[in-house]
Formats: sequence, C-alpha cells, structure tokens
Amino acid sequence: MSTLGLHAGELVVDLDVFQGPFDLLVTLVLREEVDLWEVSVSRIIADYVLRLAESHEFDLEATSQFVVLVAALLEMKSRLLLDLETLGEDEEITVEEAGEELLTALVRYQQHRNAGEWLKARWADNAGRIYRRVPLPACFRRAHAGTERLPASLLAAAMAPLLREPPLPDTSHITDVAITLVAELRRLRSLLAHEGGFTFLSVAPRDRLEKAVTFFALLELHNRGEVSLHQARAFADIRVTAVRPEAVLAG
Amino acid sequence: MIDPLVIADLSRQIEAVLFIASRPVSAAELAASCVADPAVVDQALGRLAEEFADSRHGMELREVSGGFTFVVVRDCETAVEAFAGARRPDDLSPALVETLSVVAYLQPTTRAEVARVRGVSSEWALSSLEERGLVEECGRADAPGSPILYGTSARFLTLFGLRDLTDLPPLEGFAPGADDVEELRERLVAHAERRRQ
Repeated sequence: MSTLGLHAGELVVDLDVFQGPFDLLVTLVLREEVDLWEVSVSRIIADYVLRLAESHEFDLEATSQFVVLVAALLEMKSRLLLDLETLGEDEEITVEEAGEELLTALVRYQQHRNAGEWLKARWADNAGRIYRRVPLPACFRRAHAGTERLPASLLAAAMAPLLREPPLPDTSHITDVAITLVAELRRLRSLLAHEGGFTFLSVAPRDRLEKAVTFFALLELHNRGEVSLHQARAFADIRVTAVRPEAVLAG
Repeated sequence: MIDPLVIADLSRQIEAVLFIASRPVSAAELAASCVADPAVVDQALGRLAEEFADSRHGMELREVSGGFTFVVVRDCETAVEAFAGARRPDDLSPALVETLSVVAYLQPTTRAEVARVRGVSSEWALSSLEERGLVEECGRADAPGSPILYGTSARFLTLFGLRDLTDLPPLEGFAPGADDVEELRERLVAHAERRRQ
C-alpha cells in the first residue's frame, strides 16, 4: 500500500479486489459493488499503522476519520458473519438471537471442517496412486463429429449466448473529470498573469485525476516556453514561474 | 445365464479398450464400443477386476472419476516412480482442505459463499485449488455482478479416489454431536459474559 497522506480520502489501498482511495472502497462496499468478504480489513489497518509510523506525524482528525471508517467496515463484516444481511440497518438484534446465529454458523463451519478431515484421509490414501495416463496414439486423435444430423435450432441455441452483447459494466462509481486540459491551461495562464508564479500543490485540485490534468497543463505550458519549472528534489513541490515574453523570444 | 465364454471374450475387449484409453472409460462407453448389453458389460468388468486383483499383475482395475481405468498396484509404485519420475502431489494445507470441502458439498458455489461458510476470505485458497486442478470455474451465478461459480474437477475425483460426487458421504453425517454443540454454546455465552463485565 502507498499513501499520499494519511487522510482516508488520500489513503490508497491496494487489495486484490480493489485499488484506490480508502474512502471510495468504503462507499463501494456500502453500495455492495465490492464484496466485503474479499476485503482484508486487518491488512488495511496494518498498512495504515505502518505508514503512520513512517510519516512521524500524527494527525488526530485524520486518524479518527480512519478509525471510524474501519469500525464501520468491521461492523458490517461482523453482521455478515451472523448472516444478517436481510436485517435492516435500523433493526436491532438481541444478544440471544446473535448468539444463535453465530452458533448456527459455527456448527455449519464445523461440519465442513469434519468433512475436510474425511477428505484429508482420502487424499492420504489415494493422491499417490498412479493411474494410466498415456495419451491416445496420434493416429486415433481424429475428432468424430458424429453421424446423426443435428437440427439447426440446436446450433442456433448453442451460438445465441456467444452472439449476445454483454451488458455494459456499471461505471457510476467512477468520478467524471470535471475539468478539461483547455480550461486548466486558461486558469493557470490567468494565475501566472496575476501572480507571476505559484507552487503546484497550491493550485492543484484535491481529486487525483484533476490533479493529473493540472500537471499535464503545466507540462504543456513548459513545452511552449511559457513557464519554468523547478523542483528541489524528487517528490517535492514544483515551483512554477512565468517566463517573460522577451525571455521566450531571447531563448 | 450368460455363456462364460461370452463374458471372457468381452472382458478381453474391455481390457484392450482400457489399454488404449487415456482416461477412465464409463460402463456405457464400454458397452457402446464393444456393442454389448450393459448388464453383460457389468459382469465382464467384474471378471476383469477379479483377474487383476490380489496383486497378480502390476496393475489393477479401478472405478474412479466416472469410469474404469488401470492403476498401478501399491507395491509396484516405487518402480514406476523411479522409471517415470512420477511424484506424489504436494499435500494440501488445512485451509485448502477446508475450502475444498465447502466447494465439494455446495457446488456450484461462489467465492462469497465459500467465504461466508469459512468466515474468512477464501480468494487465495480457491486460486490455489484452481492451480492444482482440483477446482474449476463452471459458469456464472444468476445474481448481482454475475459472480463466478466454482465446482470440483475430474482430477479431484481421481486424486481422492471417488467414482463420482455421490461417493461423498452426506454432509449431515459430519455435523458435530449434541455435546459438542452444547459446548460451543457455553463457550459463546461465557465469552459474551466476559465482554459484558
């Protein structure tokens, strides 16, 4: 996992089922577009704590926000464990009911564990057996299409699912980029005209994609010789300074 | 009463088909190949099994994974392994056996259902079982997101020495006893009490 900061919105999680901001993950889980069973909450916590230790900073507000979101995930996951998805959010369950649900789940789990023991014994006894595995001689490997005539409707029924257009994937959770490169160029030029310069982080929007558009706009301005860019070291903020027209001409 | 000579002749034909086959062959396929009555094929298979029983040969007849095939007898395995470089498959971890049990009994089933039964994410376990060829995808569920359905493979039947899935004992037989359930209940109550204090 890598982070741009330790706010939940900036914390980037990298799981098998999801890669992106942590708060978006929580939103998708709430909208049931990411299966909570597949989300390893312990891994998210461990990575967050690691990043927190590495940053040598402690932002109480950001950490509190993270704890609240993680607690919400854990509560949802514990409700899943009790198989209570059908229960409304406002409906409460008594301790006794929760106990019975958990007991039922444990008994079902124990059943499969016991069945696993039986399978394990079968494995020990059979996995090493050596069956005849010699491939069929090449001369016999002709495919037989069969002699009986098949109705065309059967072929059509077999082909139909392959020809059907699959439904479009749901992209409603993907945020549209609100700004365009042209609009961002206009905004940055206006800022340069009034202020003569600025730093990248002071003008970049919060959204990652929009931030990328700002970055591309800066590169474009630099390419056209309208600005000079200075970065003290890798990953440090970028200082943007307007280049005077005469300097451009002279250059 | 079927002529013993007919049975003997059919068992030789079956032996020949199984010699050339690269996979277990079902009784129905044998009946079609040998143009014989299924009941007679059953008797011929019985005779063939007897002939190859009691370690009289280096292999024996076995019904596995939906058909009949020859398997090396146990006391000849070392020689075959040395010749062919065959190696016993790596053992399964408890997590893999547990996941396999859930898939075997609930198939076709989804990753989420397996996780629901086990109480933990089973993504890695299912991928590992798929890599080992014990579990395979068998369609998509008619549910939101069309999750992938998983089932056990023919290799699963072979490696566990099962003829088909009906060889799996009923799951009900693995239910914990009343005493065990009561003990679980008491442990849950005791845990809840501790949390309340």
